Amino acid sequence: MSVSRLRYAPLHLSRPSTGHLPATPRYPRACIVAKWLQSRNLTTGHHLAREEAIPLRKHLKDEAKRKKTESKALGGSGVAKNQKIDARLKKWELTVGIEIHAELNTACKLFSNAPAEARGVQHAITPNSRVALFDAAIPGTQPAFQVATLLPALRAAIALGCEVQRTSYWDRKHYFHWDQPNGYQITQYYRPFAKDGLLVLRASDGVPASDLNGAETLAIGIKQIQMEQDTAKTTNLGSSMYHIDLNRAGMPLVEIITLPHIHSPQTAAAVVRKIQSILKAVDACVTGLELGGLRADVNVSVRQRGTDGTRASYSGVGGLGQRTEIKNLSSFKAVEDAIIAERDRQIDLLEGGGVIAGETRGWTLGATETTRLRGKEGEVDYRYMPDADLHPLVIGKDLVEHLRQRLPALPGEVEAELEQSYGLTQKDAKTFLDLDDGDRVDYLEAAVAHTLSKLGKSLGSNEYENQRKVGKLAGNWILHELGGLLATQQRSWADMAVTSQDIGDIVALLHEKQITMRVAKQILADLFERESITETSTVEQLVNAGNLRLRPLTEHEYEELAQGIIDDSPDMVKAVKGKGQKGKIMWFVGQMVRRGEEGTVEPEKAKKVVERLIGSVEVS
Amino acid sequence: MLSARVCRRNAGRRLVGYANYSVAVERRSNTLNAIVNLPNTTSGTSAKEELNGQATSPGALAGKSIALKDNIVTKDSPTTAASKVLSGYESPFDATVVKLLRQHGASISSKTNLDEFGMGSHSQSSNTGPVFSPFSRNGTPLSPGGSSGGSAVAVATGQCWAALGTDTGGSVRLPAAYTGVVGFKPSYGLLSRWGVIQYANSLDTVGVLAQSVKDARQVFRSLNVFDAQDPTSLPASVRQRLGPRRREPGRKRLRIGVPVEYNIDELSSTVRAAYVRTLDALQVAGHTLHPISLPSTRRALSAYYVLAPAEASSNLAKYDGIRYGYRTAGPDASPKRNSPLYAQTRGEGFGDEVKRRILLGAYTLSSEAIDNYFIQAQKVRRLVQQDFDRVFAQSNPLLDASLSTRSGDGGVDIIITPTAPTLPPTVDEVKRQSPVESYMNDVFTVPASLAGLPAVSLPAPLSEQERSSMEESDVTSVGMQFIGQFGDDETVLEAAELVEQLQP
Repeated sequence: MSVSRLRYAPLHLSRPSTGHLPATPRYPRACIVAKWLQSRNLTTGHHLAREEAIPLRKHLKDEAKRKKTESKALGGSGVAKNQKIDARLKKWELTVGIEIHAELNTACKLFSNAPAEARGVQHAITPNSRVALFDAAIPGTQPAFQVATLLPALRAAIALGCEVQRTSYWDRKHYFHWDQPNGYQITQYYRPFAKDGLLVLRASDGVPASDLNGAETLAIGIKQIQMEQDTAKTTNLGSSMYHIDLNRAGMPLVEIITLPHIHSPQTAAAVVRKIQSILKAVDACVTGLELGGLRADVNVSVRQRGTDGTRASYSGVGGLGQRTEIKNLSSFKAVEDAIIAERDRQIDLLEGGGVIAGETRGWTLGATETTRLRGKEGEVDYRYMPDADLHPLVIGKDLVEHLRQRLPALPGEVEAELEQSYGLTQKDAKTFLDLDDGDRVDYLEAAVAHTLSKLGKSLGSNEYENQRKVGKLAGNWILHELGGLLATQQRSWADMAVTSQDIGDIVALLHEKQITMRVAKQILADLFERESITETSTVEQLVNAGNLRLRPLTEHEYEELAQGIIDDSPDMVKAVKGKGQKGKIMWFVGQMVRRGEEGTVEPEKAKKVVERLIGSVEVS
Repeated sequence: MLSARVCRRNAGRRLVGYANYSVAVERRSNTLNAIVNLPNTTSGTSAKEELNGQATSPGALAGKSIALKDNIVTKDSPTTAASKVLSGYESPFDATVVKLLRQHGASISSKTNLDEFGMGSHSQSSNTGPVFSPFSRNGTPLSPGGSSGGSAVAVATGQCWAALGTDTGGSVRLPAAYTGVVGFKPSYGLLSRWGVIQYANSLDTVGVLAQSVKDARQVFRSLNVFDAQDPTSLPASVRQRLGPRRREPGRKRLRIGVPVEYNIDELSSTVRAAYVRTLDALQVAGHTLHPISLPSTRRALSAYYVLAPAEASSNLAKYDGIRYGYRTAGPDASPKRNSPLYAQTRGEGFGDEVKRRILLGAYTLSSEAIDNYFIQAQKVRRLVQQDFDRVFAQSNPLLDASLSTRSGDGGVDIIITPTAPTLPPTVDEVKRQSPVESYMNDVFTVPASLAGLPAVSLPAPLSEQERSSMEESDVTSVGMQFIGQFGDDETVLEAAELVEQLQP
């Protein structure tokens, strides 16, 4: 079993590590180096992510526990405190805007033909081996825009409902840092390629009812999406030594900026989660949960309800309070917790008669408060300037239309499909999408298709109902039976050797009553134990080899089996007959299943036989 | 009495004689400091090897020795851009123009000195010391002009057949004017910048310095091809639209524009007289003169000194001492002392003029200043371009015809102006100038740079009378500048050659 491949809480930053020594976390440090680090839109956060990596299941469990505690507290000793919190939130309204950076799924870098750093590759790539002259800022070199990088970016923009701009431009954002060889990052500051999108969330995405206000959906505006370069990877060795790996320098990113339309920490986390799942669904980003290339910055402000705050205006949304920015959040939990902490800090400060300063703050997982990194006076002036080496980016409507028509289904659409056509509950459908980057959805589809083709006409003519019936059964096996094995064996989905065909076979055999549930579970466990799918044992072979096919006993054989047990167990018979303990009947059934040949005894039938035979026994 | 033509020839011989003498001196001691380094002795063979591999014809430049300004990278010798920050830097690749020169049979004779990163008008701000003109006044060397001063001096003294320079705001034309050679800046985007160390990348242009227009044209044509590695290189589709195709066939007479705004107070009488002689000669030869107005000329210089430093502050941000070049001895960041990252390396690595322009550029791009400086300067740049488009007979091939701002009065084929308002100052006078005063030298060259237009500086000989009132060691010519519409490089060269032939 490979621990390293356990799923992590989504939205984190782990990359294949090529560092050799344990590295120290890079922030917060109240020195100028930390200031530089934090001033940068893009920091690597490489080591941070490793420490933060939380298995998804643990994350979900913790979440559930936390919610339970919260609801308990409402009715218990925490009443006073919670009422106080509620009262504060009734008075103060939170407003949040989010910026998300995600690495695009491309073959090469944004402005050079150096191959993109392969995500998900487990072996380390030699540092500084994928670097074109321009990536290292060699004098006399120039950028060469790689037009193919535009495709995943456009898919992301279309999926997020943005208007793709016909003409956009490249700008240089200047700041000195060793992970940025040119001394500037090429981005799209003045004229981004996509604007004015919309993200639609439902309760099932994790939006609290209070944010939905009775509506089905909540719409969050996307201000813009821009393409830009990633930075090099820095490994800190000791107090003053850094190793720089330029393999990542110049990799293409998209930055997605929402409007300040978010009013709760839970919705903020839901927005990030939803954006991630959309990017994944349209194959805009290489990275899944294991090696997430996402990173979020949040802008947080509060205002007294019914007021105009400090009359601040951000991205055209006015009447808000003074905001602060929290940088480099790399998990959903960090997004939610950081916003809670910052909201509470701002309310405390305002209620104490203080004033919020526009500043940049940091957050570390587990902290109870955000920490100040730098104020306005410490702002880096990025001196944005158009890049005269690069032509404007002109995107034709035909290309956008072409991509729009071929866009894969989005998560919301898949969820509805799972419920309607596969008969899953909303909860199960959502779980299918959330687990393993949605890989199990494909798996389910393949398993169901296999079962349906195997069963053929024997199912009847109502194809819609057939698929729902088989879908429900297969869904159950994939989510719960297989899920249970994964959990108890601590194995990851990616390492698992049971194929969708295996599940399809099991479901077909079950449906035809050729095997019992008990046998089916045993076969699944056996398949699960296989080291790899290259071992050729199929479900059919396992059934045949173990002679596990349900071979119906004759009525006579049932009676013989039952009679033997009744004769051997007069005390139990007495318990049923004399004391009327009808429940003990099931003991007899159990004995029959055990004594009978594997897979031959159907419990329902056995029960009837036992009842009949015991009924005729005379009790002395 | 000898005819003027003979005098000129004699003057030329004197110059060549001096040049021959000075070549010998140069080879020994490089007294004018035009050359910063010679290529490794193996470079000749490596050039040949390259040739063999590419099966090119012996080429238009076969056997010609060509010097390169040291901000054009070469594999076989260091390239420093005359900056300490690049001391000892060896490029892993050859610039495209270097490859092309070799493909056409040329040999790279040497790398030439320049103002650090091309920032200067007198070639006095080099990490390896100032360049001196072969001419002098009162025993003091004159300014060779800048920033391609080393290339100009190398050509003027016969150390090479021709040289490549770079021209951002006049850096090929001004030294050509000050040293009495031909300096040609082609249209922006014709010659590849791949391998040219950037100063202000929206203005930087590779240019040619040579003894005659013919030689300059020969080098230019060898290099005038699309290069996919330079994103600003004009593709074939655009190149097809360039050239003097709108002039009526058979019309030999040039319509020559004389901009009133160039008749400034600072124009020295010697330069004005040479200008008038040049225009007279053309008129006598049947060409027509037309007064034109380029009203944005004055503001062009200010715009240039906002835009070029802004781009410089960005382009020079890469010099941090981490991957190559100079790095300070100690640690380069001291958080405790609150010193910014790389302050030490960059503080030690850059010279004063480079630091001045980086600071200027960083300021004009800063959030509180960008609207008043950088944005305004870009608007002026557009006005300058529109000025030119209004007066040229040809419309700008980069613009849609519908956007053409040209008035309907026919327009001119070429604009002729002096290259510089005065004769070259001595290097001592340069030292006494404030930076802003020295920027004034570029007032006539900057407009063509801002508009990306082709421009050539041609030496116009001084009159006998003028020569007699000057020292023997002083210059014998002043530069005349020929500016054409974008892409009309051949007309510019043609006009310059015409005047060259009319000269006594």
